Amino acid sequence: MSKAVALPDVLREPLLTDGPMSIGGLDDQVLSATERTPPRAWFIALAITITAMTIGFGFIGYTIATGIGAWGNNSPVFWAFDIINFVFWVGIGHAGTLISAILFLFRMRWRNAIARFAEAMTIFAVMCAGIFPLIHVGRPWLAFWLFPYPNQRAIWTNFRSPLLWDVFAVSTYFSVSLMFWYLGLVPDIASMRDRTTNKWKKPIYTFLALGWHGSGRHWQHYEKAYLLLAGLATGLVLSVHSVVSFDFATSVVPGWHMTIFPPYFVAGAIFAGFSMVVIVLVVVRETMDLKNLITIRHLDVMNKVILGMSCLMGYSYAMEGFTAWYSQNTYLHHTFLNIIGGSYGWAGWLTIACNIGIPQLLWFKKCRTSYFWMILVAISVTIGMWFERFVIIVISLSQDFLPSAWRLYKPTMVDFGILLGSFGLFFTLVLIFARVLPVIATTEVKGILPGAQPETGGHHE
Amino acid sequence: MDKHIHHDPNDLLPIGTPRHWRSLDERAETPEARQAAHDEFKPGAMDPEDRPSTNLSRRTFLTLVGATTALAATVACDKKGRSTVVPYTKRPQEIVPGVANHYASTFPEGRRAYSVLVKTREGRPIHITGNDEHPRLKGKTSPRALSDVLRLYDPDRLRLPKISGRPSSWVEAEQTLVAALAAAKREAKPVLLLTGATTSPTRRALLKELQGAVPTLRHLAWEPSLGDAAQEGALAAYGTAVDIRPRLEKAKVILSLGADFLNGDDPEAIAAFTAKRRLSEPVATMNRLWVLEGAMSLTGTNADQRVPVRSSRLAALAFALAKELGGTANVTVPAGLPASEGISTETWTSLVHDLKAAGREAVVLCGDAMPAEAHVAAALLNNLLGSQALDIRATESLATLKDLEAVRQDMAAGKYAAALLWDVNPAYAFPKAADWKDAFGKVPTRAWIGLIEDESAAQCTLVLPEHHWLEAWGDYLDDSVLTLQQPTIGALYTSKQGEDFLLTLLKGLGATKAPDYHAYLQARWQKEVQPAGSFASFDRFFQSALHDGLVRLEGKATTAPTFKSTALADMAARAFASQPSGFELLLRPGTQVLDGRYANSSWLQELPDPITKATWGNPLSLSVADAQALGVKDGDMVELEAAGTKLRHPVILQPGQAKGTLALALGYGRKTGGVARGVGFNAFPLLALGTSDPNLQFGTKLSKARGHMDLPVTQSHHRMEGRDLVRSFSLAEFTKEAEHGHAHIEHATLYPEQSFPDHKWGMVIDLSACIGCSACSLACQSENNIPSVGPDQITKGREMHWMRIDRYYEGEIENPKVVHQPMLCQHCDAAPCENVCPVNATNHSPDGLNQMAYNRCVGTRYCANNCPYKVRRFNFLEFTADKIEPASLVYNPEVTVRPRGVMEKCTFCVQRIQDVKIRAKGDNRPIKDGEVQPACAAACPSHAIVFGDLKDPNSEVSKLAKSKRGYKVLEEVGARPAITYLADLKNPAIVSAHEGATHE
Repeated sequence: MSKAVALPDVLREPLLTDGPMSIGGLDDQVLSATERTPPRAWFIALAITITAMTIGFGFIGYTIATGIGAWGNNSPVFWAFDIINFVFWVGIGHAGTLISAILFLFRMRWRNAIARFAEAMTIFAVMCAGIFPLIHVGRPWLAFWLFPYPNQRAIWTNFRSPLLWDVFAVSTYFSVSLMFWYLGLVPDIASMRDRTTNKWKKPIYTFLALGWHGSGRHWQHYEKAYLLLAGLATGLVLSVHSVVSFDFATSVVPGWHMTIFPPYFVAGAIFAGFSMVVIVLVVVRETMDLKNLITIRHLDVMNKVILGMSCLMGYSYAMEGFTAWYSQNTYLHHTFLNIIGGSYGWAGWLTIACNIGIPQLLWFKKCRTSYFWMILVAISVTIGMWFERFVIIVISLSQDFLPSAWRLYKPTMVDFGILLGSFGLFFTLVLIFARVLPVIATTEVKGILPGAQPETGGHHE
Repeated sequence: MDKHIHHDPNDLLPIGTPRHWRSLDERAETPEARQAAHDEFKPGAMDPEDRPSTNLSRRTFLTLVGATTALAATVACDKKGRSTVVPYTKRPQEIVPGVANHYASTFPEGRRAYSVLVKTREGRPIHITGNDEHPRLKGKTSPRALSDVLRLYDPDRLRLPKISGRPSSWVEAEQTLVAALAAAKREAKPVLLLTGATTSPTRRALLKELQGAVPTLRHLAWEPSLGDAAQEGALAAYGTAVDIRPRLEKAKVILSLGADFLNGDDPEAIAAFTAKRRLSEPVATMNRLWVLEGAMSLTGTNADQRVPVRSSRLAALAFALAKELGGTANVTVPAGLPASEGISTETWTSLVHDLKAAGREAVVLCGDAMPAEAHVAAALLNNLLGSQALDIRATESLATLKDLEAVRQDMAAGKYAAALLWDVNPAYAFPKAADWKDAFGKVPTRAWIGLIEDESAAQCTLVLPEHHWLEAWGDYLDDSVLTLQQPTIGALYTSKQGEDFLLTLLKGLGATKAPDYHAYLQARWQKEVQPAGSFASFDRFFQSALHDGLVRLEGKATTAPTFKSTALADMAARAFASQPSGFELLLRPGTQVLDGRYANSSWLQELPDPITKATWGNPLSLSVADAQALGVKDGDMVELEAAGTKLRHPVILQPGQAKGTLALALGYGRKTGGVARGVGFNAFPLLALGTSDPNLQFGTKLSKARGHMDLPVTQSHHRMEGRDLVRSFSLAEFTKEAEHGHAHIEHATLYPEQSFPDHKWGMVIDLSACIGCSACSLACQSENNIPSVGPDQITKGREMHWMRIDRYYEGEIENPKVVHQPMLCQHCDAAPCENVCPVNATNHSPDGLNQMAYNRCVGTRYCANNCPYKVRRFNFLEFTADKIEPASLVYNPEVTVRPRGVMEKCTFCVQRIQDVKIRAKGDNRPIKDGEVQPACAAACPSHAIVFGDLKDPNSEVSKLAKSKRGYKVLEEVGARPAITYLADLKNPAIVSAHEGATHE
């Protein structure tokens, strides 16, 4: 770093912000959003999401009062929307940490403008995901038994159960993500503290800023802690969805019992997470007037990642089919045929179309940089990834070993209500976040502003 | 501080402390001063001086208020739901808390009576099994007998006598009816007594006495679902009504003409039939079952050779067979008969050959609902063969629909003075129920006695609660065995047993002095049953009969009715007559609910039909070809027109059903009873009055109707998809297989091998013996407090049976091969369910059981997902714990009642294992082989389920597990199940080329 070599222009990273931008101007642009009264559209959006959330929680209450029988789950489809939604939201929660941690370690500086939002989405998505394991158990009031805590009954949890690994993986992921996010927020909160004149906000920001005043020593510790947490989170990005996939891969159910599941799940999670980030970023960029910070180049790069993941998903799907054929396993063979030709064959094809077919549009630069196309792809991926979990869970379970036990699954209104509620919760949190905390990590963006770095040309390679 | 010292404060001060004084008197220590110091805080010191002595002081007032409040609060404490547990000071005889008592009794059902053992706990009957002292039933009984403990505790039972709808007393009821009877006697007007059939000699004696006391009494014994054809046929063939019992231990070739003798009602026939099919080596002693039938029956699914033929053509075929066997010279069989019914020459000749070769060891059985001519033809065939495998006994004849119609007309004409309905429900089961009700309404005194108020009770002025059979006395005669029925619980309500009521009527008419039916029965027994010249006192004789539940009547063999050929020509002509075109509708008694009398039993309603696997209802079964022609699928509604009645009904497609045949179960569509109401459709109106065989209708019209109903079926996929789940061999294949042996799969595991120090419980299920009757499911339900979940939950796929019978079809859809496979927790050694439970709620016991700790289960359902056999059941809703008395009294106290959100499954009846272990330990002896019997094994009439210790090399289960037919289901999954299945064996006469190749 100390002895930087000036690169020819063509090899230099292009500008990460559009137009001239001063450090103070950046603060004004980003931090002032929390100081203004939100526009009417925001209130309308919030009202909608809160309504959806309330419906969801109402149905959750109903489920807890009556039992899992309120859902469509049956024998043999003992898991359905509950676990589909769980895996779906955990998957959505993957983009944030990937962007903030892995891309940070790889010194992908373009991440700086979008990392904050992506991280926040991770946390909210994991919160949504976390609801499902709790409410899906038959006796939710005893769900705490899943944690290994010392008790007078001297009963320990079963460490051989992948479900227990899940508990650890997801809770660790959540806490590390939360710490990581908060750590990054500290300097920005300090800026907000310094800016605000509001007597209510001042003490809150003061408390949350943890006494940050930007001294060299602070920065030194901050950078070190951030690096360490990034390292820690990197492992978790890969581990959490691998562990979630173990729920399936370590079982004996045909269609679940496959070694490809961990990488396949991780790729799928990144895929779904990036799509969700694209959807939200486009909205944020437009409505919060941040076009100069979240540039079209950001979206272009994100879309390239989505395209790459889509190809990986295609490979995984093909591999599933290959394994089914090559293993000559009757049961697996049947499950695969059931995915593409059974009663739920439409879900199988919908998954393939949404996850493999439509994202191929992103080979074209026009699609990668056009709102219409990228939103189309992102929404189709979100739908496709939800159905992918439907395919894995419901189709595999509905027809496993003994044909006598086969049965179709039909969701109920409660199932849909709770799914809607989870979206409501997610977007409610996103909306509140957008108005309460800085959506862009100003300190990190400042690091990539022209002149911020000591090298010639002001860019860091 | 000295304020608190009441005595002289200075006394207590240590020496050397300055002693202060407050007055001169105090210093002088005068007595007044001492007193004043002492009384400084005396009670009432603060009260005003002028307080009247009667008034309460403030302090006393507060004291009293406080005490009153505390007392009131104590008194007001709710004591509801709290009761006192007091140990017996005088222990009732025979009752030890926590220890089960077994009593022998008899379950009566029409023309049958099953000797049973009733298990009681703390005086409550909780479980019923067969009586192992019975020489023929050998501890087995019918599924309905097993389930009937539930009806005892049915909350819908009538609890008080009612007169004209108001609660009344027995005395009043008796007086009313006695007066009516006396009046009828005076005016010589007829009185109707309508009952079900019975085999009770004492009850018959009582009815005879009543007949004597009231000469105008017209007693009709009516079994609505059996039909009249069998009796007509018997009258034609034997000149008397007969009870035909197959003795299949003597049969090598069995031909069933629509006879469903394996449907579970006759455990003796099942045992005898399957005894010859549990082979360990391929031998030629295996029997062969030929079934010619229209609708698929449980017997048909177990056939070695099944030929689908319209029921109406069976008689013609049987006469043609008789011709082949050299009988009936004067009968001309129409040319091309077997072929015209779609029977190939090969099939026909091998059937004829089989019958001829077996000779006396062949037997022909005819189904109750078949036409009279078929019964005559079957009798003829048995006569020609000289079959020894039949026990034919003359019996009392039953009322036919024609008799009832005659009575109805008389009632309509106002001839009857009174009517008593006892355990019959003509307002529901009479085909023209509305006409019956009109006529019955004209009888001045109408009385009804029964368990649960039904459609007929609604019309009666006297509605009287009857004892459940578990509360009543009785005796039943079956050939040479006289079984005894005794109360196993005191009457739960103000009910009486029907016989007792009749006895009080007799007393009211001054015709008897017996105090009650118990005494009446004993008196008859003393006179007629106890062998003359017996040295034992009658009390001892009766006690011993009570203990055994039966006495054997030696030397009272009756002569069998002889076959008469007088009606042959007439019957043959009827058999060969052509039938009207259109569908042929067969109306059968419901497998579970019979004629509707058990319709209020949720256990029976929820027990899947052994063939269609439909619960809670009676879909119309029709052949797949007919369904395709009509364009209907399972659950689609059709309109059925028969006997001038139209019925909208859902259909179910039945592979193997003869084309043009429809089959429908009677006993559904009840209008009363909390459970029975609205389940299925009432098919009784379809019975045709005035034909010789009301249960078989011709020229039925069927058309597609609008609408669809999701049928509550427990199995919706019927093929095995080429998987090695049920192995089925023909005898020839078994010979081949036995020589080569089947490869055994060895599985590697990363876990250390489990050790089983004392026992390793295991099970063997012989698919060759299992006929699919589902008695095991019911016994399991009763033993393990398994809830019924209702049709909605079944439709959603949430049935709770721990033991289910999987039924698969294979081969062509017109006449598929059918296999039954009991499926329950396999208690795998490497159980996939165990390692996925995050809270360790399911684990392995040191004696090889896969255990479930209900208390620990949080309900993640992961175990059920990972169970390859899908035998785990989840309490999706609160199915059990909200039951209150009396419904909750049926629970077995040894088995936890599971709340919602908890997983459950077969435990191998761990409570029974523990019970035997404790007994053995108490006696300081090892457990004997066969001593532990799970409920399913105990109930299985065909001895298909064998349970025992796999560690003991000499146990029956160990030996069977090594059988050449043995295999494990889904062995390749590597779960190491503890249940070994023995491959199904069939003995087909014709081995087709493609049949040998596969055992899918």
